[in-house]
Amino acid sequence: MSAERESGTIGVLGGSGTVGRVAVNRLAEAGTGSLRVGARDVERARAAVREAGVAASRARVLGVDLRDPAQLAAFCSGCSVVVNCAGPSYQVLDTVARAALAAGADYVDAAGDTVAMRALSAEAPTELETRSAVFSAGLMPGLSGLLPRLLAEDGPLERLDTYVGGAAAIGPLSAVDALLTRGPGFGTALAAWRGGAVVPNALSPLRSVALPGFRGRVHAWPFLSAEAEELAATLGVDELRNYTVYVSERIPEALAGAWARDDVPIEEHVPSVVAAADADVAVGGPWYTLLFHARPRDRDRSGPTRLILRTPDSYALSGVVAALAARSLVEGGVPPGTHAAADVLDPRRTLDDLVADALVDEVDLG
Amino acid sequence: MNSPVTPTSQSGSAEESSDPEAVDRLLARIWAELLGLDPGDITPDSSFLRLGGDSVLAVRMAALVRTRVSVVLELSDVTVDVTFAELSEVVRRRSAEGADAGRASEVPIEVEPRADRTAPFPLMPLQQGYFVGQQGGWELSYDSAHFYGDVGLTGVDGEEAVDALTDAVERLAEHQPTLRARVDPEGRQYVLPPEAPGAVPEVRVYDLRDSPENEVTDTLTRTRSEMSTTGPDPVRGPGVDVRITLLPGDRARLHTAMSLLVFDGWSATVLNRELLTLSADWNAVLPPLEIDFGDYVAALERLPSTEAWTADRDWWWSRLDTLPDPPALPLRTDPKDIQPTLMATRERHLSPERWAALRDACARHDVTPSAAMLAAFAVVLGRWAGHRSLLLNSLQLNRLPLHPDIHRVVGAFASTMLVPVELPTRATFATIAAETQRVFGEHATHNLVSGVEVSRELARRRGTTRPVGPVVFQSTLGMDAAIGETQPSSAGPLGEVSFGDFYHQLRTPQVAIEARVYELAGGMAVVFSYVEELFAPEHVDAAFADMFGLVESLADGTGWDTPVELPDEVAAPRDGLRIGQLDAERATADTGPLRDGLERDLAEIWEELLDTPILDRGTDFFHVGGDSLLVVRVLSRLAQRTGLTVGVRDFLDAPTVAGLAAAARNGVSR
Repeated sequence: MSAERESGTIGVLGGSGTVGRVAVNRLAEAGTGSLRVGARDVERARAAVREAGVAASRARVLGVDLRDPAQLAAFCSGCSVVVNCAGPSYQVLDTVARAALAAGADYVDAAGDTVAMRALSAEAPTELETRSAVFSAGLMPGLSGLLPRLLAEDGPLERLDTYVGGAAAIGPLSAVDALLTRGPGFGTALAAWRGGAVVPNALSPLRSVALPGFRGRVHAWPFLSAEAEELAATLGVDELRNYTVYVSERIPEALAGAWARDDVPIEEHVPSVVAAADADVAVGGPWYTLLFHARPRDRDRSGPTRLILRTPDSYALSGVVAALAARSLVEGGVPPGTHAAADVLDPRRTLDDLVADALVDEVDLG
Repeated sequence: MNSPVTPTSQSGSAEESSDPEAVDRLLARIWAELLGLDPGDITPDSSFLRLGGDSVLAVRMAALVRTRVSVVLELSDVTVDVTFAELSEVVRRRSAEGADAGRASEVPIEVEPRADRTAPFPLMPLQQGYFVGQQGGWELSYDSAHFYGDVGLTGVDGEEAVDALTDAVERLAEHQPTLRARVDPEGRQYVLPPEAPGAVPEVRVYDLRDSPENEVTDTLTRTRSEMSTTGPDPVRGPGVDVRITLLPGDRARLHTAMSLLVFDGWSATVLNRELLTLSADWNAVLPPLEIDFGDYVAALERLPSTEAWTADRDWWWSRLDTLPDPPALPLRTDPKDIQPTLMATRERHLSPERWAALRDACARHDVTPSAAMLAAFAVVLGRWAGHRSLLLNSLQLNRLPLHPDIHRVVGAFASTMLVPVELPTRATFATIAAETQRVFGEHATHNLVSGVEVSRELARRRGTTRPVGPVVFQSTLGMDAAIGETQPSSAGPLGEVSFGDFYHQLRTPQVAIEARVYELAGGMAVVFSYVEELFAPEHVDAAFADMFGLVESLADGTGWDTPVELPDEVAAPRDGLRIGQLDAERATADTGPLRDGLERDLAEIWEELLDTPILDRGTDFFHVGGDSLLVVRVLSRLAQRTGLTVGVRDFLDAPTVAGLAAAARNGVSR
């Protein structure tokens, strides 16, 4: 496979991180284009590129501080696609997207939710008439909004349940994201989607339940995310229940404790969230499951009604999804404008790619 | 604890209860408080009775000992005539027994009268078992779980007896609301107001005063057979059935049948006494009851939110995986293939003198008669089953001492408790009995969680829907003393009660064999009740002879100090058809997404009742919070919505969504 293609260069920002290094590896393996890897710490990025098994000749490593507009512009210049795997997304928002678009590149964000998309749309750059910006190209949001669509292909759904979670370490930056993901624009705890509207306090936490594809007994917390809400509207389901799953109550307790003390700067709550996640992982190692369960309106219809996907590493899998989104852009499969990955990726093809990926332990569609 | 213990203090501490003098101080304060005395007035040989105590106060005393000294006393410990020194000794002994087992949890709830006495309330765990059993839910179940007994009466006033009895039943139904209890088809209980039609049980009369002998015999046989096999069912009417047969020569028989769904054995004793007391005297008034059974159940509903309950639950749960198997008694047939209608009985009595001798011998060996009888039954079972590590079940009539009236209230208070017994080789019976008593006491201190719930969890872990404790021991030795007032033998127009002329039958579901010991007419009765179809008659004969022989050797003192012969094997032998070894290899659960409309409908019904998502056709009903009562509700909703009917037992055979769907489809084609 040739190292260089007509498609040009793909830039990956945050290439030394858990998400970024997997994105770099998958892009290199797919031979989608030549790579440019940006990180604040050049040495760490080089090491990550080496560990990802990418020959130094195929990936140029650049030092980039996202807060420095000149460095950012320099990095984006000459890229056909810029994939941002750096966080925290509440700080990044649309910064990198604007720099990429200004440089004439398409944009992929492995995180970046509705709030980031709205920030970009608020004063939309004119380049969006010809270029694309794809946000939420990760596991959640991302796969969590994309894969359930497979269950609606054979007929409309009365109810869709989504369960995503497991045991995963949360780094300090992700902890800040987790602490910030509440309030308008993110989602509503305990809410469900019913009959075309958000119904607050419709659901209770499920404590100590056994769920297919999840290990042992888990706790599932209802949280109607912005992504889930849009999924419900897109599929026209009568009811959607979206749960975040934890192996213990440590993380929900840490988050609740932090939210109860909003007089304290958010950074001070980070250690307790990080420690809670570490304690969860310490029990049985890292694992993560996505479970989607549909109840078709026609009770007797055939076709799949349940999808289970298991991975040992939720962050790394986000890198896989970001790489798939970049590939789709390169192939010209994405129309111009701002999109969520779930709306522009092909669910069937994505699932096939995931089945073949080493980071996926199991896919069960039935 | 630094603060001095005052008579009103509700707390005792471990330090205090391990210091004998401190224990005596606590006990003296309890007596002083109950009897209105100065603690200084109490000397070691003062008896509770002589200081003005009565049976009611004795039960209250046991409750206070439990909460303040953290020691659980057995029924037989709390006699009215106990002396202070005796009580102190017993408390010390029980405390030592419980020392490495942890102390009895302080019961952190109070019983109060409910605002609405006619409001429905849930069934207690054992009631649920009986209720589901009546729907044919269990193997070894009957159309009704009930107790039947009839007793001879002499010197009866034939003209007055019926009116006196009818009036007594009416007054008793006023006094004890549970006589008016009903159970609805979804498994909730409630009490009818006294004026509701049919609320008060009607007395049936057979007047055979002028009938020939053969008609008398026929009627008795017919009545016994009918009342033994068709018990009162509180789903359809009163839970008690009272009849009287008037006989020539001023004789009569009083027949009573009581549903175990609403009355336990203790209640049966209370009811019989009160019935006779009221029959004897038109003007008799029973001391009023401040609380009823529903109040007790309502209070118990608050238990699971307490730390004490959680601690007991954790204690049991941590032991479940190492509990032994039930005695592997050889069987003639698989219990699931039979439909028994009656349990067979073997019964022998110890005379009052021999019973007194047995009590003395037990006291010399520092064990209660109940513990000695449990140990004797375990030895017999060990020899019969061929192994020494046994899981026994016991029926517990104790009510949690939550209110001073509790012992006089009738209801289905009873529960079960699993007791693991590890019989040592080459030990004397004295050693075995002491160890059995220790183990029993250790387990009894964790009785806030019912044995029914423990058994349910054990069955879940063992992946079986068969009874996990089908071999049962029940002792009510000492119950008479704990209830207080002795059985009146004279009942006015009903004449004199002949306790020697007593016939009884008991049917309890999920029991293969049960040993019962109780006091009768001053002596002790030893009874085996068992499902005849299951056991070879010569095995039962041998086991019962072994049991009674052992009891006699304990009464005459010869059986205590020689080594007890027991098999070498610790674990159950695995050959042939035996109790505890009936589960065929379970087919690997048929897992996967719900397959069709019926499975989706079923999953929805499960979700409604269990409040948890059902996302796999292999989901086991009992792993997601299902219990036997909910099984009944699932099947009733399934029938309502789809018209498909499935029997409880078919559900239990394959308690998954896929299994239930298959059973429902088979039901259609059948």
